[in-house]
Amino acid sequence: MEAWNKEVFRGGSMIRFVKLHIMGVKIAFASRMVYRADFLLSSFITLLGDLIIPLITFLIYTSGASFPGWNIYEVLLIQGIFMISRGIANMFFFGTVWNTLSSVREGTFDLILLRPHSTLHMTMITAISCDDLGVIAGGILISGIALYNLPAPGIINILGFIFFFIVSLMVLVSFAIIMSATVFKWVGNSRVYEIFDAITIFGQYPATIFSKGFNILVTWVIPITMIAFIPASVLLGKAARGIYIAALSSVVLFVMSLVIWHLMQKKYTSVGG
Amino acid sequence: MIKTFNVLKATAFVTYKEWAAYRSHMLVSVFVGPIYFLVQYFIWSAVLKHQETINGFTLEQILMYYGITMLVNYCIMDFAGWNLQMLIHTGKFLTFMLRPVNHKYFAFSQKIGHRLLGFCLEFIPVYLLFCFVFRLNLVPDNFIWTLISVILGFVMMFLVNYTIGITSFWLIRTGGISRMFLLIRDIFAGVFIPLSFFPETMQKILFYLPFQYISYVPVRVFLGSYELAGKSYEISYIVFLQFVAVIVMLLISEVLWKLGIKKFSGVGA
Repeated sequence: MEAWNKEVFRGGSMIRFVKLHIMGVKIAFASRMVYRADFLLSSFITLLGDLIIPLITFLIYTSGASFPGWNIYEVLLIQGIFMISRGIANMFFFGTVWNTLSSVREGTFDLILLRPHSTLHMTMITAISCDDLGVIAGGILISGIALYNLPAPGIINILGFIFFFIVSLMVLVSFAIIMSATVFKWVGNSRVYEIFDAITIFGQYPATIFSKGFNILVTWVIPITMIAFIPASVLLGKAARGIYIAALSSVVLFVMSLVIWHLMQKKYTSVGG
Repeated sequence: MIKTFNVLKATAFVTYKEWAAYRSHMLVSVFVGPIYFLVQYFIWSAVLKHQETINGFTLEQILMYYGITMLVNYCIMDFAGWNLQMLIHTGKFLTFMLRPVNHKYFAFSQKIGHRLLGFCLEFIPVYLLFCFVFRLNLVPDNFIWTLISVILGFVMMFLVNYTIGITSFWLIRTGGISRMFLLIRDIFAGVFIPLSFFPETMQKILFYLPFQYISYVPVRVFLGSYELAGKSYEISYIVFLQFVAVIVMLLISEVLWKLGIKKFSGVGA
């Protein structure tokens, strides 16, 4: 255990990790409360921005059209779950991308390297963002409305959903780590977020609308459908075959992201860019 | 006049060179643009699987709409408002007050340089991808009217963004409010979904707002027909309305500028 702690937590422990994470959350809230009005407005705007896709879905269905095999509430459930998952990931993990990007560009990543703690965790806890609380609340509301209008899921479905929702968060953390790792080499490119947004938009719709080959790509190769479609379809009792392969693929992605982070970190030159 | 033009030319050239150093930043669009388009392709192919049209759009027309919207946005996008906010927020705007160049003109010249590079690195590659990979027939119905409308959209986008930036003279921290404005701008400009998908009452309101003149009108001019809130206009007439809207927006931004500049303290916030 000690060896594990030394290897993974740079001499720390899991408890220390959690304590530091809670401290990061407290600091993030305290600093954001300095500009309370801007915080509330930012949370609201972030929520509005994430409501675009449900709005498009609503406009499509009110125009008399639909996604074959999916009613409006089932699609809204996928999009609501996507919002919750993305909101949690943005709040706790995605700050690491911007944090790494700015510190590598300025050459101040040295300060993180000098600290007696995992560099990856340090970049995460010093960039926790509270602005996505609105998105999480919005996602819960949309999912709630959808579930209210759908048959109640069974206990097995709920347990399956919890499992796949955790895997969904793991996929998002993996994306955050990979994106952060790329900026060691691709210095100052703030558009990595756009690449991520573009790729994950596929996760907001029923995967059945994609072609067969593309479906395999976004389920087993890059498990984007794991973010919301798979957890939602498990909850709805509409789970397709191959979801456990997708879960396995998500674990592989997570391990790969850690390996990429450590490899790319070695490329850090300390000179900025 | 020549001196004014030289300022524009020099500023645009320097901005072009400055951004050319970050070519990969812009080249991201060559990846992101087609990905977004692919999403639209899957969505609308599924939606129009069992019906011919939706709100008057066939599958081909709606894909054309999204393709052209993307291309028009590569021509007109800017971040003049964000830049102005940053300058006011940090107090660095003071240096512009000491310069013998109007800041709005300077920012507009920067936009020209930035978009010239965008035209080469974003518009052309994505245009070719749309034509040869997605097989879109991206030939404007009338080239001259389309060009005029895109230029007016370019100016309108700048004026709307710059006016949002001017609000920083009154507000200490404007990140939230400017994001709200930008979101409203994109929704009501028809970037996410054609405006004709909105309810009739909403369309009537949108007709009198400046946002449709940024992107929706140039796209409809490209397509060769204009329709909103049950009204259909000749292309020449809607481009004339777009011109009038640009003049009105220019006057609004001038008035706000004159009021806002009196609030500037020069110490930042």
